[in-house]
Amino acid sequence: MPGVLEGIRVIDLTVWFQGPVAAQHLADFGAEVIKVERPQGGDQGRGVISVKTMPTGDWNQYFLVINRNKKSLALNLKEAEGQAILHRLVEKSDVFLSNLSPAALEGWNLGYEKLAALNPGIVYATNTGYGTRGEVDKPSFDMTVQALSGLMPRLGEPGQPPVYLGVGSGDAYGGMMSALGILLALRRRRQTGRGQRLDASLYGAQLFLAAPMLQGYLATGSDHYAKQRSRREVPNPLWNLYPAQDGWLSLCLENSDAAWLRLCGSLDSPRLEEDARFASSDARCENAPALVDALDAVLQVRPAADWVAAWQALDIPVSPVRTFEELEADPQAWENDYLLSTWCEAVQREVKVRGLPVGLSETPGQVAKLGPELGEHTELLLTELLGYSWDEVAELKRAGAIP
Amino acid sequence: MSAGLASGAGAFSEPAAALSGVLLVDLSRDFGFAVSAAMLADFGATVVRVEAPGARREASADRGEGPRQGSRDHRAELAHRNKRSLALDLDKAEGRAVLDELLARADVVVVDGSPGELETRGLCPEHLVARRPELIVARGSGFGPKGPDRDLSPFDELAAARTGMMPLLPQPGQPPIYSGAGEMYAALLLAFGVALALHHREETGRGQVVDASLLAGNMYGASLDLQAFLAIGGEQFLKPLDLMDTGNPMSGTMYEAQDGKWVTLTMPDTDRWWPDFAAAVGLDPADPDFDTHAKRCGENCQLLVSRLQEIIGGEPSAHWRRIFDERKLSTDVVEGFAHPASDPQALRNGYVLEREDAALGAHRSLGFPISLFESPARLERSAPAVGQHSEVLLRDLLGYDDARIQALRACGALA
Repeated sequence: MPGVLEGIRVIDLTVWFQGPVAAQHLADFGAEVIKVERPQGGDQGRGVISVKTMPTGDWNQYFLVINRNKKSLALNLKEAEGQAILHRLVEKSDVFLSNLSPAALEGWNLGYEKLAALNPGIVYATNTGYGTRGEVDKPSFDMTVQALSGLMPRLGEPGQPPVYLGVGSGDAYGGMMSALGILLALRRRRQTGRGQRLDASLYGAQLFLAAPMLQGYLATGSDHYAKQRSRREVPNPLWNLYPAQDGWLSLCLENSDAAWLRLCGSLDSPRLEEDARFASSDARCENAPALVDALDAVLQVRPAADWVAAWQALDIPVSPVRTFEELEADPQAWENDYLLSTWCEAVQREVKVRGLPVGLSETPGQVAKLGPELGEHTELLLTELLGYSWDEVAELKRAGAIP
Repeated sequence: MSAGLASGAGAFSEPAAALSGVLLVDLSRDFGFAVSAAMLADFGATVVRVEAPGARREASADRGEGPRQGSRDHRAELAHRNKRSLALDLDKAEGRAVLDELLARADVVVVDGSPGELETRGLCPEHLVARRPELIVARGSGFGPKGPDRDLSPFDELAAARTGMMPLLPQPGQPPIYSGAGEMYAALLLAFGVALALHHREETGRGQVVDASLLAGNMYGASLDLQAFLAIGGEQFLKPLDLMDTGNPMSGTMYEAQDGKWVTLTMPDTDRWWPDFAAAVGLDPADPDFDTHAKRCGENCQLLVSRLQEIIGGEPSAHWRRIFDERKLSTDVVEGFAHPASDPQALRNGYVLEREDAALGAHRSLGFPISLFESPARLERSAPAVGQHSEVLLRDLLGYDDARIQALRACGALA
C-alpha cells in the first residue's frame, strides 16, 4: 500500500537522535527519505556500540530503529564535488532536514539561501539546540537542555535530586515537532508554490514538554507550581500513587463523597469511612497527609492485583505501576501497533521495535525495513535519480566525493 | 493530482497561515487533546470549540487542581488559545442538529475519550467518516482504538503507569514518578496525524480516522529506554539506578553544587572532552588515575565520581556555569521554572510569550515550539469564554438568521 507521503522526497542530513527521528516519522508514512552520511563512519549513531556510550545488545537498536524505512547516500560534503551532488539532489527534493550546526551547513554551501535559490519549493528544516535567534552557542544534548526547562527539580519527593525524563526524552519530542513543522510548511507550499525555512529546537520542545506544570508557573510566577510536591500533600488524595504489598498503584478517583464511599467499601477498614477528618471533599483535601498515611497502611497489606481486581469491579479507575517487562507482554501495545516485530538483517531474526504511535485508517504507516547500511543506495541514487553516468560515478569516486 | 485545499473555514480563514482555510471542530474534553487542536489553531486552522453551556469542565478539576474560586485554570489558556467557542447542549436534538450542520462543513473533527464512550455520545469516528468520506476525524483515546483495554478511563496517570517508565525515574526506594510529559507527547502525535491526513485529503479528496492515545504518547516518551529494554532486556531497565551508580562519570550525570543546585554533564566520548573538562575542574589532564577513557569509565569510575562530587560541591552553580560555558563544554545547571520564565533565549525564539490582559496583568505563557519563518504560529486570541463566539459562528459560518438563533437560545440548546 502506498504511504500517505508517497511522492515526497526528504534529504535527511542528520545525526544522533532528534533529526533522524523526525525523518523516521515521515519515512514511516511513505516519504522517500534519503539519509546523507559522511563516507567514514556515517552518522555517529552507528557507532554507539563501539564507543559504549549507551547499552546495546547484539544489534544497534539506537540507530536502526530511528533510521528505518530510509535509504543511505554516502557523500563527502567537505569536497565541492560532494556538495554539487547534494545540490542536484536538492533540485529534485521537497524537504531538506538537518540537525548539524548552521555554521557547518553554511560552510558546506548548504545554507537556506543557497538551497532556496536552487529550488524555491524546498522546505528547509533545522533542529537547533536553542533556537535560531539569540546568543546561546554551545553544544546541546538532551539532558543539558532538559536541565533548562525547569521540570527536572519539580519532580520527585521534596529533597530528592532532579529527575531526568529518560534517554532521548526531549530529542524524541523535538523530532516529532520537526516532522509536524515540515508537514505544515508543505501545506503552505501548496498555496504559495514556495518552500520556507523552519526550525524546531530541542529547547523549545523541552519547554513544551513541561507544559502541564510550566504553564501555571509562567502565568503566575508562583512557587506553588515550581516546587517538588510530596505525594502526601496532593490536593486530591484519591488521585494519587499508593503502595500495595508488592508494587505501586495509580489511583484516579474524583474527590466526591460518592467516590470516597465507593472506595471505602472496597477496603477492610470500616473506621476510615467513619473518620470525621475524611468526611467531606474539603476535609479530605485539608487532611491529605493523614488520609494518604491511612490509605498507605490499609493498602500495603494486600498485593496490587487484589486491589486492581476489586476496584475495577467497582468502576474505580486504577492501574498498577508497571515495568517495561509487563509492557512488552501487554496486548494493548501490540494490538494497536505501538510495538511491532520486524526483521533485522544484522542478527538474522525478528526483533521488537517501537511501532507506530499514530494510526491512520486509510493510509497507515508501516515498518518495511530497519535502517540502511552506510551508503547502501549511493550508486543507485546517483545513476537512477540524479542521472549520473557510470563514468561520472567512477570519476566521483576517484575525486573522493563518494566512497 | 490535487483535490484542492480545504475551505470549510470560509470567511473565518486566515489567508497567510499554514493551515489557511481548514475548519476544525474541537469536541475534545481533556487537556492533552485540546492542546492538539490548539497547536493546529496556532498555525491558522479555524478552530471551533464546541462545548457544553455553563462553566468549562477542566480535567484538572478531578485532580483537585482546578481554579480556586474566581481564579483561572492557567492550563486552559494554553489548551484553548486561538480557538472560538460555540456553546451547545448536545443532549438536546436542536443542539445536536447544529453540530451536524457544522460537521457537514468541517474539514477536521477532534474528539477524545474511550472508543466505547464516543460511540455512546454519537461521536464514533468511523461512523462520522462513513457518513461523509471527506471528513478527517481525529480520536484521542487513553489506550488506543483496539485491544481488550480500549475502554479504560482515558487518564494520563493510568497510561503513564502502564508504560514501564515511572519506576525508573526516582532514586531507589522512592515512589514512582509521574511527569505529565506523556500527555504532551500524545497531544503532538494527534496533531501530526491530522497534518498527515490533511495531506492525503488534499491529494485525493478523502478523509479518514486518525488515532493517537495517551498510552502511545507515554511509550514514545520512554522511547530510547524502552527500545533498549526490548533489544537487551535485563534488570537494569526495570529498577531505578542510584544517581552515583554510573558507567560514565561525565555523561548523564549530575553533581550537587555548593548552593544546592545541580550541575549536569553530557560528554559521552570522554577522550574528546577530558583535557578541557579536567582543566576546568582543576584536575590534571595527565593524572594517571584518569588518563584514558577505560580508566575514567571503568576501573576508576567511582573514584572520578567522588572527586567530581567533591570538587563541584565546593563552588556555587553560577561559578560552574561560567567556567564551563567559557570552554563550551556540554554541561548545564539544572534550573527551576524561574529560568525559562526570564530566559532571553526562550523569549527571543517565541518559546515563551510576554502577555498582558485585564485578569492577570503582565504575565507569561508558553509560546510556539515550531518556528516557521514565512507562515509562523501566532497568538490571535486568548482562550475564549464558553460560548463567546456562539452567535457570530452561527450567523457568519452557518448562515443562521436572528430568529433561528433566538429559537435555539429559547430552547436552551445554545448559550
